[in-house]
Amino acid sequence: MWAYIIRRVLATIPVMAVVALFVFSLLYLAPGDPAAVIAGDQATPDDVERIRASLGLDRPYLVRFGAWVWDIMHGDLGTSIFTNLPVSHMIAQRIEPTLSLMIVTLILAVSIAVPMGVVAAWKQGTTIDRLVMAFAVLGFSVPVFVVGYVLAFIFALELDWLPVQGYTPFNQGFFPWMENLILPAVALGGVYIALIARITRATMLEVLSQDYIRTARAKGAGQRSILFLHALKNAAVPIVTIIGIGIALLIGGAVVTESVFAIPGLGRLTVDAILRRDYPVIQGVVLLFSFVYVLVNLVIDLLYTLFDPRIRY
Amino acid sequence: MLKADADFAQAFSRVGDQGRLSMERRSFLQAGVVATAASAGLSAPAMSQGAAARTLRFVPQANLANFDPIWGTQFVVRNASMLVWDTLYGIDNTFVPRRQMVESETVSADGLTWTFRLREGLRWHDGEPVRAQDCVASLNRWAVRDGMGQMIRSIQRELVAVDDRTFRWVLRQPYPKMLLALGKNNTPVAFMMPERIARTDPFQQISEYVGSGPMRFNRSEWVPGARATWSRFEQYVPRTEAPNWLSGGKRMMVDRVEWIIQPDAATAGAALQSGEVDWWETPLNDLIPVLRRNRNVRIDVADPLGNVGVFRFNHLHAPFNNPRIRQAVAMILNQPDFMRAVVGNDDALWKQMNGFFTPDTPNYSEAGGEILSRPRDAAAARRMLQEAGYNNEPVTMIVGQDIAALSAMGQVANAALRAIGMNVDYVATDWGTVGARRASREPRDRGGWNVFFTWFAGADCTNPAAYLGLRATGDQAWFGWPNDPAIEAGRDKWFAATTPAQEKAACDEINVAACQSLPFVPTGFYRAYQAWRSNVSGIVSGPLPWFWGVSKS
Repeated sequence: MWAYIIRRVLATIPVMAVVALFVFSLLYLAPGDPAAVIAGDQATPDDVERIRASLGLDRPYLVRFGAWVWDIMHGDLGTSIFTNLPVSHMIAQRIEPTLSLMIVTLILAVSIAVPMGVVAAWKQGTTIDRLVMAFAVLGFSVPVFVVGYVLAFIFALELDWLPVQGYTPFNQGFFPWMENLILPAVALGGVYIALIARITRATMLEVLSQDYIRTARAKGAGQRSILFLHALKNAAVPIVTIIGIGIALLIGGAVVTESVFAIPGLGRLTVDAILRRDYPVIQGVVLLFSFVYVLVNLVIDLLYTLFDPRIRY
Repeated sequence: MLKADADFAQAFSRVGDQGRLSMERRSFLQAGVVATAASAGLSAPAMSQGAAARTLRFVPQANLANFDPIWGTQFVVRNASMLVWDTLYGIDNTFVPRRQMVESETVSADGLTWTFRLREGLRWHDGEPVRAQDCVASLNRWAVRDGMGQMIRSIQRELVAVDDRTFRWVLRQPYPKMLLALGKNNTPVAFMMPERIARTDPFQQISEYVGSGPMRFNRSEWVPGARATWSRFEQYVPRTEAPNWLSGGKRMMVDRVEWIIQPDAATAGAALQSGEVDWWETPLNDLIPVLRRNRNVRIDVADPLGNVGVFRFNHLHAPFNNPRIRQAVAMILNQPDFMRAVVGNDDALWKQMNGFFTPDTPNYSEAGGEILSRPRDAAAARRMLQEAGYNNEPVTMIVGQDIAALSAMGQVANAALRAIGMNVDYVATDWGTVGARRASREPRDRGGWNVFFTWFAGADCTNPAAYLGLRATGDQAWFGWPNDPAIEAGRDKWFAATTPAQEKAACDEINVAACQSLPFVPTGFYRAYQAWRSNVSGIVSGPLPWFWGVSKS
C-alpha cells in the first residue's frame, strides 16, 4: 500500500510538468497584454512598452518558461504582475474561503444526495422516485448563478435571514462563518446533489437486484439494514468515484459561486487574473488546482480499498 | 494662473441626507443559536453600533489590483490613492487649482522660477515630517509618467529643495499651467510620497504605502480582488477651508473606510439594499429602478463631468487613412442610438456632443461641429464613401464584450457602417485583447485593426491638457495615430493662454480642426449614477468619489 501511495505521489510530478508546460504555452499564445492593462487607457504606446520591458514580458518564450520553472523548483510561484504580492501569499489569502465553500458543499451534497438516491432506488417507480429524478434534472439544468440570485433574493433580501455576500473567516466564529456559506453552498451544491443522487440510485438499483440481497431478505434482514449495510456499502465504489470526479465540478462552480456571492476565494482570483492577464497568478492557481485534483483522485483510489477489501494495490 | 469661469456649484451638491436608522435582522442562525454559541465560545465578532457608524463600506468601480498611482494609472487606483497621498494643489469644482499641501507660492516676473513653501505640521503616516526633498523626489517620479509633467521636464532647468519646507522649480520658458499640472485630478495625479518611496523607478511598483493624506492604508488587510481598508490618520491636519473636490479641508467623518470589491452588479445591488454596504460607486443602470424603490437607498448622478464615448479610427491604414471616409462615417453615426444602447432609456443621463470637449464646461465648443450636429443622412454618407474611393476594404472593428458600454457601442456602430455599405469585420473579444491589439500598427490582416471603442472620463476632456484622444502628432499620438498640425497648434495656444477667453478661443480652434480631421468620433456624452444608504450623508457629485465629509448615522 505505502509503495503504491509513494508511486502515485511521484506520478504527480510528470503530470504537473505537463500541466505547467500546457498552461504556460497557452498563456503565451493567448492574446492580451498585462502591460496595456497596467498602463491604463491614457497611456502612450511608449509607456506600455516600458512597462512590458520592466515586467520581463519582452523576453523570449523559452527564457520566460525556464525562469518560471526554475523558480517553481525553488518553491517560488512568482510575483503577481499587478499587485506586486507573491503568488503564494495571494493563494494563501484565498484558500480558506474556497476550501470552506467546497467542504460545506461536499458535506451538504453527500448528506442529501446519497439518502435521496437510496430512497429513490428503494421506492423505484413511485412518486418519491419521480420527485427525486425531477429534482436531479432541475439540479443539472438550472445554472448555479440563477440558483444563487434566487436564493439571495429570498433568504437575504426578502426574509433578511442570511447575508447577501461576503465571507467571515472561521477564526471569527463558527456561526458567522457558516452564515456566509449556507447560500453559496446550496447554490453550488444543486448540480452536485443531482449528480450523486442519480448515480446512487442507478448503482443501488443494480445492487438491489443481486442474489445476496435476495438472500438477506430471505434471512429476514430489515429494510434499513439491507439498504444501508448490505446494498449501499457495495454500491459505494461508483458513488465515491463520482464524488471525486465531482470535485472538478465544484472547482468550476466555485468560480461562478464566488463571484455571485462575493466570496474572496481562489475562483475569483483566477477570473480576475485571467481578465487582467496576470500570468504568474493564473499559472500558480492552475497548478494548485491540478495538484489538488491529482491528490483527490489518489484519495478516491485509496478509499476503494476501504469499501471493497477485494481491491488491492 | 488658470481661472476657469464656469460655476459648478450645482455639481458640488451635498446629495446625502439623514435617514432613519433601520433595524436589521442579521442572521437567523445567530438569533436561533446565540445562547449555544455564546456558551460554546463561538460568538461572532461584535461590532458596536457606534463602530459600525464609523466604518464606511464602499463598493468601488473596479478591483484595486495595485496601489501605486504613478505606476498604474487606472482611475480606481487614483481614487484609492486620494485617501493616502496628498497633493500640493487640488482643483475645485470650477477647475481652479487651490493650495493643498502648499502654504504659499511665488513666481518670478519672467514666469521662469516657481518657489513653493509647504504648510507647517505636515506629517507622513510613519510620523516623519513632510520635507521639500520628499516633494522634489515625488515630482521627479510623477513628471516621467504624466503628460503635463513631461512638458515641464522638457523645459526644466532645475528642481531643488531650498530648505525643509521650500523647493524651487526653475524653467527655461514660462509654463502658465504649472498649478493646474500640480492640482489636476487626471491620472497620474501629482501625489506626494516620502523621498525613499518616490525614488522608485516610475516604471516599477512601490512596495510601501506611506502618505500624508487623511487615511492610512491597512496593508495587512488588503486582499486584492476582495477588500482594501483604510484607517483615519490622527495626525492629519486638514486645511481650514471648506472641502471642495480636491481642495479644502479633507476632514474624515469616519474612522475606517472599507472597499468591498463586488464583481457582480446584482449582488452589489442586493448588498446595498440589505445594508451590507453603504455606498456603491457605479450601479448598473438596469438596477436603478429597483434601487429607487427601496426607501433606504438614495440615487444621484455620480460625476457631473460624465464620460465621452469614443469611436476611434486607425489613421494609418485604409480605409480610415482617408479623411473623406472618416467624414462619411461621422455623418452616419447617430449619438442617440449609441447613448440609448449604453445608458438605456433614461434620457437625463446623456447629451448630444457637437464637439469634442466635455459639455457644460467652459471650453465646450460646437465650432465647426456641423458634421456631428446635422441630421444623419445615410444616402449622403454612402455617396461620400463612393466619391472618396471606398473599395469595399474590410473594416476590422475590435470590440471588448466584457465592458457593457463598449459592447453596446460596437453593436450600434456595426449596424451603422453596414447600413452605408461598409464591409465590417466585427471582432468580438475581451478588453484585455483590445488593449493589446490596439497597440499594433500593422495592417488588419497582420493583426492590426481599423476601429475600436473606448470612453474618456469627461474630467479629462474639459481641456486639452490630459486629452490624449485629441493629440494628433502622428506616430507619437495615442492609439490610432492621427496627424493634424492644426489640432496641435490649437493645443499649443491653449497651454500658452493666460486668460479664460484665450483658452476658449484655443479650444474653438481645436474643435474646428478635429471636426475636419476626426481623430475619433464622439459617440455621445453620458453620465452614470451612484447609490448609497439613506443613513449616509455628505456624498458629493464629482469626477471621483470623495470620502472626506462623508458620515454615517
